[in-house]
Parts: sequence; structure tokens; C-alpha cells
Amino acid sequence: MKLRAVKGIIIKDLRELRREKMALFWIFIFPLMWITLFGTMWGGHNPPVSLDVGVVYTNENSAFTAHNVTEIMGNVTLEGVHIFRIKKFASEESGISALKHGKIDSLVVFPPGFGRNVSTGRQAKIYVYFDRSDPQEYQIVRGTLMAFFSEMEKRMREKKIEIQLEYIEKYMPTGEYNITPEAVREYLIASAEPLRIEEKEVSGNAPTPIKFYITSFIGIQFLFATMLTIGSGTLEEIEKGTLRRIAASPATAWDFLAGKMLSTFFIIMVSIFVGLVYSRVVFGETIVPSPLGWLIIFTASVFSMSLGLAIAMATRSIKSTTAVVNFISMPLLFLAGIVIPESIIPSWARPLTEYFALGRALKDFRLLEIYHRPVRDIMPGLTLVGVETAMMFLIALFLYRWAMKRMEV
Amino acid sequence: MKAVRAIEIRGLKKSYNGFQALKGVDLEVNEGEIFALLGPNGAGKTTLIRILAEGLGYDSGEIRIFGEKLSKKTARFIGYVPQESIAYDLLTVEENLKFYADLYDAPKEKISQLIDYFDLPKKKKAKELSGGLRRRLNLAIALLYDPKILILDEPSAGLDVPSRRELWELILGFRKEGKTVLISTHYMEEAEALADRVAIMNEGSIIATGTPEELKSLVGEESIIQIEGLLNGLERLKDKFRLVEKDGVARIHVRTPRESLPEIVETLVRAGSEIRVIKIEEPTLEDVFLKLTGRGLE
Ligand SMILES: Nc1ncnc2c1ncn2[C@@H]1O[C@H](COP(=O)(O)OP(=O)(O)OP(=O)(O)O)[C@@H](O)[C@H]1O
Ligand SMILES: [Mg+2]
Repeated sequence: MKLRAVKGIIIKDLRELRREKMALFWIFIFPLMWITLFGTMWGGHNPPVSLDVGVVYTNENSAFTAHNVTEIMGNVTLEGVHIFRIKKFASEESGISALKHGKIDSLVVFPPGFGRNVSTGRQAKIYVYFDRSDPQEYQIVRGTLMAFFSEMEKRMREKKIEIQLEYIEKYMPTGEYNITPEAVREYLIASAEPLRIEEKEVSGNAPTPIKFYITSFIGIQFLFATMLTIGSGTLEEIEKGTLRRIAASPATAWDFLAGKMLSTFFIIMVSIFVGLVYSRVVFGETIVPSPLGWLIIFTASVFSMSLGLAIAMATRSIKSTTAVVNFISMPLLFLAGIVIPESIIPSWARPLTEYFALGRALKDFRLLEIYHRPVRDIMPGLTLVGVETAMMFLIALFLYRWAMKRMEV
Repeated sequence: MKAVRAIEIRGLKKSYNGFQALKGVDLEVNEGEIFALLGPNGAGKTTLIRILAEGLGYDSGEIRIFGEKLSKKTARFIGYVPQESIAYDLLTVEENLKFYADLYDAPKEKISQLIDYFDLPKKKKAKELSGGLRRRLNLAIALLYDPKILILDEPSAGLDVPSRRELWELILGFRKEGKTVLISTHYMEEAEALADRVAIMNEGSIIATGTPEELKSLVGEESIIQIEGLLNGLERLKDKFRLVEKDGVARIHVRTPRESLPEIVETLVRAGSEIRVIKIEEPTLEDVFLKLTGRGLE
């Protein structure tokens, strides 16, 4: 191998890249946009939701009214954010229409007599309308509203128990039975709410979503930037005739390939490094891979370069290479668990996360760097990835040699 | 003493998927001469050059460079200037030269020397260069490692007249420095202006080799009548005379101008030609090609 020639090829590639605005965008900016987008949407800290709630009620002059309920709703805050923004509607129809048009997230209808029923201790009804067209949105809206009403219900129950206790204390014959008002009170509370569930949050050890999205970004680099950089980079030089020229020089087509792979590897490593630093700066969190983590990244990038080169050499056209890479990588983004957690991948696609080298490499990288699993847990995966990478590398070399023959050098 | 052959080719054959592009080429280029391969499109000039300079595979034959078998080792003797630009568009002139210097392991000082010699704008990106400058950058790249043989494929194709003249000067300069130059061209003016010796190629074979004078003498006793104007009825002359027509100028080969001229003029005028100029001319290499193949160069 001609070292000076290989070095020359690497420097030339890096210089070219520096001036290629589109490539810079796809390799550096696009993945950062990805981290930013998903990081701010789901990563790190979730700000509390805020819902637009339409209400319909008639004015009553009882002690407690629907109006009082809406006031309470309007005052609920979490971390300084008002959870419900209340909009009063004149009729159920106009409220429903607003809900249908997405102007409000939910509609709460207090039928006439609500206030009187509540005030006189009878059961009162509330109708709540949701829009189910977006299932996730529906879950969030319903969950939030129901949580509010169940809290409200609980308070009302407690109030009722207070009132009942007053009567009981007044009329309960004392001393006859060994029952204290306290015991009665406890009993009543328990019959109204036999189970009390308290949520406790575990924090500290739990991985935050941002780390997951960092690994997704690394996966995206392998699925797109790496494959396209080496594939189209090689084809460009074939089409332009410069590869023929290089092969005619004292350097060989193999020196060229070595230079191309090293420059691609360098570019991808820099882009991954930039992504890791970026995440640290913007989200205050990042992954600092262990040596084994870097080894996984290295192996996956070799696999990805080989796959990209193999596709390029088999199609021998930049357009087809771009098309094939997109065609393969787009579905894999999801099916191989690159950007979505394995738990929500359809079961028929699970083998991709198990046996497709890039899916498996990323999975193992996550186990190692996010979930801190012991090395022995990921050894089988790493072995598989290593074997697949070696095979893909050989296939790429074989196709490259074949393409060089076709090029008559 | 036998002169050292810079390039020696025997029985070279090459086919592309069954199509014979070279049908047994024999060629000798002496050290220090400018040698032109003259032939029309598809003659096989580029194919021959790529075998010499790019290591393109061939079917049979023998090639020696300064007596050594053509190989990766002899590659360093040959500087190759292909027709297309081989510079990277996004790199500057200087960066391109640096890259190729690394490839050929050429001394770094050579870069600035060549930039000065060819008067190249070193900070300009290759994509911003004019056609003439690109060609000169190609030349500079080929000269980085000081090759003894320079091979240029259609060096002046696509260049305007001043750039072409400049390039010719440069090529003549290489000979002064003792380099051997092999060019391919289908402009007979170029071959005549530059070459010490010319090989005329047609359809994969070399049909004649010699100095321009030797080749022109092949036209023999014949004279050339050159007629310019709006010409009609040339095809009526084709049975009787060899002729080529290009841009309203017809060159007609005749044995006895005095007898043939009236007949020719009469035929043309009767067919409705408007003749502007009639000259009796010296033969050119184009006429040689016409004599040998029965058709024109372009
Ligand atoms: N890579 C190739 N595959 C198939 N046929 C080819 C290839 N390169 C050249 N040929 C054919 O070989 C013949 C010789 O081509 P070549 O390019 O050597 O001619 P040339 O003399 O350089 O012509 P030109 O003046 O057009 O450059 C032509 O008929 C051409 O079509
Ligand atoms: Mg040619």
C-alpha cells in the first residue's frame, strides 16, 4: 500500500466534502436536526400538557354550581402551567362543532340541575366528549380530564363524609358501643375509597429518552450518510474517470478503496462526535461511549460502508445507489428499531433487530451504554455483528473488484 | 547504433465485447520526437492511448516502453493528458496538484514550479477554470513526476484558436526538453504543425506511417484542385475523382489539372454551383488520408 497516496486520497476527500454544501447538510446538519426535533419533543423533561376544554352549563343559583367546577378547573396548575384553558359554549351543539374542528380538545357538558343535584347530595351527571381521531392525543386528553374528575370526586366524597360524620357524632349514642367517631370516620372513608393508590416516581437511574435519540442519530448516520458517502463518492470517481487515473498511477485501486473507506470513516466519526457534543450542550445530556461502545460503532460503520459500497458497485450508478439506499434504509429506520423502541416494533419485524447487523449493533450499543448491561449480555450480539460485517466487507471487496474489471483498469 | 524506441508496439489487438477496436497495430515512437496518431472518430486512437497510459487491458500483442514490457513499473515513464479534465472541481488548482503529487509520489517543489510554468491561478477552484486552463492543469498534472513520455489525447479538441496555438507552443517546448510526445488528433493541421512523424489510423489499423512529407508523397503524381463556393453536383464527380468536401471547400485529386479542370468546373456549374475561388494546391495529410481510405478525416 502506498501510504502517501492513501493519505492524499483522504485529504482530497475531506477537502471536497468541506466545499460540498449538500453533503455537509446531510452528514452534519440533518442528524443534528433529528436530535433537536426528537429531543425537544420527547427527550429529557416533559413539560405538563395544557388542554383547551369547552364547557356547557346553565346558570343556577344553588350553593355549588357547574360554574364553580369550571373555575376550579381553570385554576389547576402544574409547575406554573394552567392545565385547562376553559372556553364556555352557549350550547352543546356549538361545543361539539368546535371539538370536531379541533378548536378544543374536549367538551364537558353539565346538564341542567347539576348544581342542584350536587348541592343537595344527589348524584350529578357530567357528559364528557372526546375526539378519538388521534388515539395518542385521545389517551392524553382523556387521562388528564379523568384524573381531574376523579380527584374532584374524591374531594366531594370527603366533603360528604365530613357532613355525614357531623350527623353521626350528633346522634350516635355514646358509650353503648365501643365505637369512636374516629373509627366511624375511617370506616366511611375506606368504604368510599377502599384502595388508595399513591404514585411514586423513581428517578436517578432511569434512562432519559434523549439518550435513546442519540443512539437513533448514530443509527441514522449508518443507514444514510455512511452508505451514501462511500457509495456515491466511489461512483463519482468512476464516472469522472479519476479512479481510472488513480489506478493508472503507481497507486492501485486498492489504495483508492483504503483511502475512501478511511475518509468516510473519519467523516462519520466526526459527525457522531459532533452529535454527542451537541446533545451535551443543548440537552445537558449525552452518551460517552466506553471503548467497547466505540468498537461497536467502528464495526457498524465498517458494515455500513461495505453495504453502501456493495450497492454502489452492483448498481454502478449514483442515482440507483441513492434510490436503493433510501429504499432499504427508510423502512429499516423503523423496522430495525433504529428510531423507535423495540417494544413497539411489530413482531414480524423483530428478527431485523436481532439479526440485521445495524439493528443488532444499535441494540447492543443501547444495552451497553444506556442500560449498563454487563458485557457478557451483549457478547453473542457482538459476535454476530462481527461475522456479518466481515462477510459484508468481503462481498463489497468482491463487487468492487468486479466493477474495476468492468471499468477495464 | 539503433535508436532507442520510446514506445514499441507489435500486433496489438483489442476488442470491446466482440467489437474489434484495434486490429493488430504496429507502432514505433522514437525518443525525443513528436508523434501524431491521425485518424477520424472511432479509429481507435483513444483505445490505443488508454492501453499505453491507463493500463487498459488488451487481447494480444506486445508493448515495450524504453525496451521494458508495459507494466505498472513503466507507468512512471508516461505522463498522460486525457481529453476530459481529471481535476476535482471543488479543489483548487494547487490542491489538485498536491493530490496528484501524492498519488505519484512526486516532489512537492514541482507543484509551484508547474503553477508558474503554466501560469495557472493556484487558488482558483478547478470548476472556475476556462477550457484552456483546464487543459493546462491536465498537462501540469501529467508533468508532476517528470515523465519521459507525454501522451496527449486530442489535446486541442474544444479549444479556441488562441488557446490551441498556446498549447502547440507548449508541446513544441516539451520536445526541446527532450521529452517524447505522442498525440492523437483528427485535425490534420495539428499533425502537420507539430509532428515529426505521423501514423494514419483508420478503423483499428495503422494504414501509413512517416514524416508528413513522406506521407504527402504518397499522394504521388496527383495534384489537388481546391474549389470554394456554393457547390452542387459534387456527387457527379465522385465516380471519376477522389474528393473531399468540408465547409464549402472541395478538394479534388486529379492527375492532369489542365485537362480535368474544365470538365470539373462545367459539371459543377451545370448543377447550379456558384464558384468563388479555384486553386491548385499542395497535398495535405487529409489528402493522404483520402487517397488511402477514399474518405475524409471528419
Ligand atoms: N469502452 C468501450 N466499450 C465499447 N466500445 C468502445 C469503448 N471505447 C471505444 N469503443 C469503440 O471502439 C472504437 C474506437 O474508439 P476510440 O475511442 O478508440 O476511437 P478514437 O479514435 O479515439 O475516436 P475519437 O476521435 O472519437 O476519440 C469505436 O468504434 C468505439 O465505439
Ligand atoms: Mg478518442
